[in-house]
Amino acid sequence: MKPLLLAELIKLRTTRTFYALAGVAVGLSLLVTVLTASIGDTTQEDVLNDVFRNDASTLFILILAIVGISGEWRHRTITSSLLAAPDRIRFLAAKTLAFAAAGALLSVAISISIAIVAYAILGARDQPTPPLGDVIELLGRNVGVAALLGALGVGIGSLLRNQPVAIVGILIMVFVVDSLLGQFAPGVEVFSPTGALPNAIQGIDPSNIGMDKVDFLAVVPALGVMLLWIGALYGAGAALLISRDVE
Amino acid sequence: MAAIEITGVSKRFGSVQAVSDLSFEVDSGRVTGFLGPNGAGKSTTLRMLLGLVHADGGTATFGGRRYADLDHPSAEVGAVLEDASFHPGRSGRNHLRILAAAGGHPASRVEEVLELVGLTTAAGRRVSGYSMGMRQRLGIAAALLGDPEVLILDEPANGLDPPGIRWMRDMLRSEAGRGRAVLVSSHLLSEVSQSVDDIVVISHGELRARGPLDQVLGQAKGGGTRVRAEDREALAAALEAAGIEFSSGEGGALIAGGTSPEAVGAAANQGNVALSELVSVGRSLEDVFFELTAGEKE
Repeated sequence: MKPLLLAELIKLRTTRTFYALAGVAVGLSLLVTVLTASIGDTTQEDVLNDVFRNDASTLFILILAIVGISGEWRHRTITSSLLAAPDRIRFLAAKTLAFAAAGALLSVAISISIAIVAYAILGARDQPTPPLGDVIELLGRNVGVAALLGALGVGIGSLLRNQPVAIVGILIMVFVVDSLLGQFAPGVEVFSPTGALPNAIQGIDPSNIGMDKVDFLAVVPALGVMLLWIGALYGAGAALLISRDVE
Repeated sequence: MAAIEITGVSKRFGSVQAVSDLSFEVDSGRVTGFLGPNGAGKSTTLRMLLGLVHADGGTATFGGRRYADLDHPSAEVGAVLEDASFHPGRSGRNHLRILAAAGGHPASRVEEVLELVGLTTAAGRRVSGYSMGMRQRLGIAAALLGDPEVLILDEPANGLDPPGIRWMRDMLRSEAGRGRAVLVSSHLLSEVSQSVDDIVVISHGELRARGPLDQVLGQAKGGGTRVRAEDREALAAALEAAGIEFSSGEGGALIAGGTSPEAVGAAANQGNVALSELVSVGRSLEDVFFELTAGEKE
């Protein structure tokens, strides 16, 4: 498994898409942090939510993972990949682990950058800052969610070979379907792997993201359901990959 | 045991029977040409052999084991498929680094194979800027990464310029000379005739001929012997006496169709005719190919 994982990590590092999307994620996260830290006043109770919770890595790693797996079909590199790794289950497992690791690394980089910038600006403005322990806990939650969404993205991408359809589909899911479910079917939204579940693991207050009606699960059950989603998508993706002819 | 054994493999795509009960073997130390018109089932067969396409029936193995069951697939089998594709934004060197990592080959091997295929100077460029010939060379470099005992190449001469084709031919012969089994599909019949020891001809997914090139050419209709003598009439009489059918050839020669030089020589000896020429005249691979594939276009 180690050689395959190494190969997948090299794949990630050797395309411009990764750097472009990662750069946008870092830039967007820092821009929002600079704005929220620089404008207006905050309180000791709200500063963590208001300023430090701007890690945008989750959506970007989800898209990167979908691009990573569906791109194998789009560019027909799936042939050379499966010649090097004819065990398709191991191939998909290596890709899943690689994007989980990439998500975690991207989130670490963003969360640390946010913390440095936020502490610097808030300190300069004599605004309250959160205890370091709270920031570290938030970083841990963000990293965990980014890793989970990286793995989830591979599962989704393994089911949808058409890259544009997969990306547009996930954007509709995140920005439209989750919001609609939050309003009209909160009992369903609570189990959404792209909406309520990652937010629950990150410890986000539903009212802060317009999901007042959704009763988020506690962290551990949310983590369990998220892992079930990943396992189900991985299993379905692996079954499909095994049955497919690579023509 | 043969390096490659294909036994009774079949594959149907919807209503199309792509390959039907196909069997042949490829031995080590020999270059085997895999010939057939477009759509004959060559690529499907190679993909079944490599585990990329699932066979409906039959087995395709390397030394008795399926590709997926090999301990180190890329160290045992190197393959270049016709539509070898690369991520356009990745450099040739990085493409090989990925495959080397996945196959557990040392990173130093990447530079070695780049040198081998003459791509060292272009290795840092993105593949989207490569010519077709350069992509073919990159595909071959990928196949050679693990220094495998078996090489499978699907239309390897596509896009290569004349020096590249010559390099390819020499490479195939060299690899076979080192004891490797080489299976190469091609539609460039003149190239194949200069490179291969054995041929396998398929059409409509079915085997039409297989064996050493000379043997297949000799067995084909139209082969024979060109014979010439100062006393042409005496030669004709000797052939007639031996029951050998012949026709007139260029420059006064006689062509004994479907007859070996040994038989013609014996007949001439029987008639006390001194020969000035006795040559086996096989048909060209192209003639035989069209005959075996019933005139289908390549």
